[in-house]
Amino acid sequence: MSSPALLKRFLALPPSLRRSFWSSSARASPAGKPEIYDVVCVGGGPAGLSFVSALKSHSATQGFKVALIDSQDLTTSRTVNDADSYSNRCSSLTPSSLRFLKGIGAWERVNGDRTQAYHAMDVWDGVSGSKIHFDSVDKRSTGLLGAIAEMVPGSRFRASRRQYETSAEEAVVATMCENSSLASALLQRVKDFETEEQTAQVQMWDKTKVDSIDLGPEAEDEKSLDLSQWPIVSTQHGQIAARLLVGADGANSPVRQFAGIPSHGWDYNQHGVVATLHLDRTFSANELRTAYQRFLPTGPIALLPLPGNKASLVWSTTPQHAAKLKSLSPTDFTAAVNAAFRLMPVDINYMLATTTTTTDSQAEEFAWREAATPPSSTGLPPNFPHITGVQLGTPASFPLKMRHADTYTGHRLALIGDAAHTIHPLAGQGLNLGLADAEALAKQIVYGMEHGMDIGSSWCLDGYNSERWAANHAMIGVVDKLKKVYSAGSGPVVWGRSLGLGVVERLGPVKAAFMGAAAGVR
Amino acid sequence: MANTSPSRLFQLPAALRSAALSTSLAPTLSRTPKPLVPATTPSPGRAYATATLPPPPAQSSVNQAEVSHFNTLASAWWDPHGSSRLLHLMNPLRHDFIRRCTNQEVRDPNEKLHYLDIGCGGGIFAESAARMRNVSTVTAVDPTPEVIAVARKHQRVDPTLLEPGKLTYLQTSIEELSRQKEVRQQYDIITLFEVIEHIQQPSPFLQSILKHLKPGGWLVGSTIARTPVSWFTTKLMAEEVLGIVPRGTHEWSQYIQPQEMRDWARQQKALSTSEGVGWQVMGVVYVPGIGWKEVRGSESLGNYFFGMKKRDDAE
Repeated sequence: MSSPALLKRFLALPPSLRRSFWSSSARASPAGKPEIYDVVCVGGGPAGLSFVSALKSHSATQGFKVALIDSQDLTTSRTVNDADSYSNRCSSLTPSSLRFLKGIGAWERVNGDRTQAYHAMDVWDGVSGSKIHFDSVDKRSTGLLGAIAEMVPGSRFRASRRQYETSAEEAVVATMCENSSLASALLQRVKDFETEEQTAQVQMWDKTKVDSIDLGPEAEDEKSLDLSQWPIVSTQHGQIAARLLVGADGANSPVRQFAGIPSHGWDYNQHGVVATLHLDRTFSANELRTAYQRFLPTGPIALLPLPGNKASLVWSTTPQHAAKLKSLSPTDFTAAVNAAFRLMPVDINYMLATTTTTTDSQAEEFAWREAATPPSSTGLPPNFPHITGVQLGTPASFPLKMRHADTYTGHRLALIGDAAHTIHPLAGQGLNLGLADAEALAKQIVYGMEHGMDIGSSWCLDGYNSERWAANHAMIGVVDKLKKVYSAGSGPVVWGRSLGLGVVERLGPVKAAFMGAAAGVR
Repeated sequence: MANTSPSRLFQLPAALRSAALSTSLAPTLSRTPKPLVPATTPSPGRAYATATLPPPPAQSSVNQAEVSHFNTLASAWWDPHGSSRLLHLMNPLRHDFIRRCTNQEVRDPNEKLHYLDIGCGGGIFAESAARMRNVSTVTAVDPTPEVIAVARKHQRVDPTLLEPGKLTYLQTSIEELSRQKEVRQQYDIITLFEVIEHIQQPSPFLQSILKHLKPGGWLVGSTIARTPVSWFTTKLMAEEVLGIVPRGTHEWSQYIQPQEMRDWARQQKALSTSEGVGWQVMGVVYVPGIGWKEVRGSESLGNYFFGMKKRDDAE
């Protein structure tokens, strides 16, 4: 099953044959009837945990019998609380994700000292230097008249709005949070349901591998229960039947493979390099913060603020550059990151292509090249900080790819998070899309319960599929196209996009729509 | 599923084509009030359909032509893309409408209601009612043996529905139900979805239902108003042009206007028919690609729900 071609041929088999394949590959099942659950969620990542929390937070679904299965140990290694070190895996949570997390009681369990809201975003083009500034004022659409008023030369319309209408809460573009902090808060949320009287406890099976997923046995006779169309999940804890099986089990989702749902897409010939960085300035908790993103021909590089003098790096680049970056000493790595934000693309390419291995050679290269590059020539934002160091052990890289399942639902089955879609992390949207899936699916199930639906039936699940598939398809398409436009190094695309950024910069409402989509504001 | 071939139009029986013409030329025809009293002779249109079948048993509302028609539909009840799709899509609105009726007065949040679903078909509504948290039992009846078999078979795929006494299907007419002493005789909610238009003599049929309603209980149903619009959508478009539902599903002349329904209700001493607290109506429209939507005032155009409450002091 390792080769995609073989998998495709396997999926082309009739379901009855597929079923027998899975049965024969499963270990012998213990005798007796499977225990019946309302929801079985495979995968205890942010999507799975927030989905379960959402079900348990609503009166219509809090009595559900829910099982959550994860192959990893969910309880340990989630509690790093050294104030001076941050995980290299962080996410930029949109206001809609935050609203959802607050609604299910998870956000209050996240350590607030380790999250950082930011209030503006500076994006600039590495080749032409044209730029765009997003802040939360842009999110408020003002209609055509407002747009015209803003474009009148010398108009103070926009400035006055900015001054009087921005409150602290609304001013947030997005909030940075370590994935591990969010995961442990969500886990705590699910555990705390034990103490709530009205709520049935969640059966947590971590360190548990799913041995097989099969369809249930044929009914014994004409009168008895017929589970032949129910998914039966076999683990070391026995067999359980799922009224609804939720696949929150990541990009290589076994649940999706059981359902025979194809997932299409392609690999970008790119890697994402992440690291936790130190800045030359320490920010206090109540300062307004800015995120930075520069589009280089090799891919975008982003600096996202964390508390104090820390920041999170997400740098999409070629596999060769990624390998080179990971091999550098901390001093050279820091110099390369500074170079990527401050130098011309030709300098960056030279620095990363060079084969010299002398320690600190990158730092020297950067020092003289920076002196020779005036900031105005690269479009560098005026307040851009200097990066002074990198937290030891944090530089890492992963290949970038795009995958989208053909559908998110099947009979008694739904996919959420990476099991449904994997996207280029250009706008840091992966986790937000997963949370939005979890919220939408839980909402649809509540609707189903209030209208007597079988929550595993297509009548209940269709609404989730139509709402989220189209939304994610649009987001994946925008991110994918944006990536293609910005990776061009020269020629008409560069002229066009610098013109494009210039126009977008002047058109508040267009920016609002652009940013609204990126921030998930609906 | 859509059959949009224009030649299908010309394959319509001549009677239907001329009916289409006269309806469109004389739209006021449909506005003529139609009393719900039993017709002394069956309409000529029905004669050919019933002639080959045994006569219906005395005092039964069951229309044998309809029964045999729904036999042929049996397998399509639970196919998500079959001819019952529109009924499935309408089902959530049925629950919304029942809530609207029962919420006219303050309810005990822990109450458990007994439902009777008449003309349950393959069990689309009966199953969903049995899953509701405020429902104790559902008794679902239909005179057609095949659809009861389909409903019982589908009941077995959901353990919730197999809880003892939760959902009981009976192949019976409403008149025979009164003679089955082992079956519960009075219910909090009686539902009658897409049934009344298939009944040739609605008045005695409805009266025999009222006996089974508890005082203070609601009789809730849905049907189609007899208008050019409903003829166009349910007969011409749904059955002939688009083929969404099989030909012969609807008998347009048996459609009942909401005003006729209310006039009948006012004549019944057992019913409270004051606006809102005793009488509810809701017009719904199917929008392709979106689904069923409530449209205020549309009850006189096509599909509508009605709810009537039995007086608290009635027997």
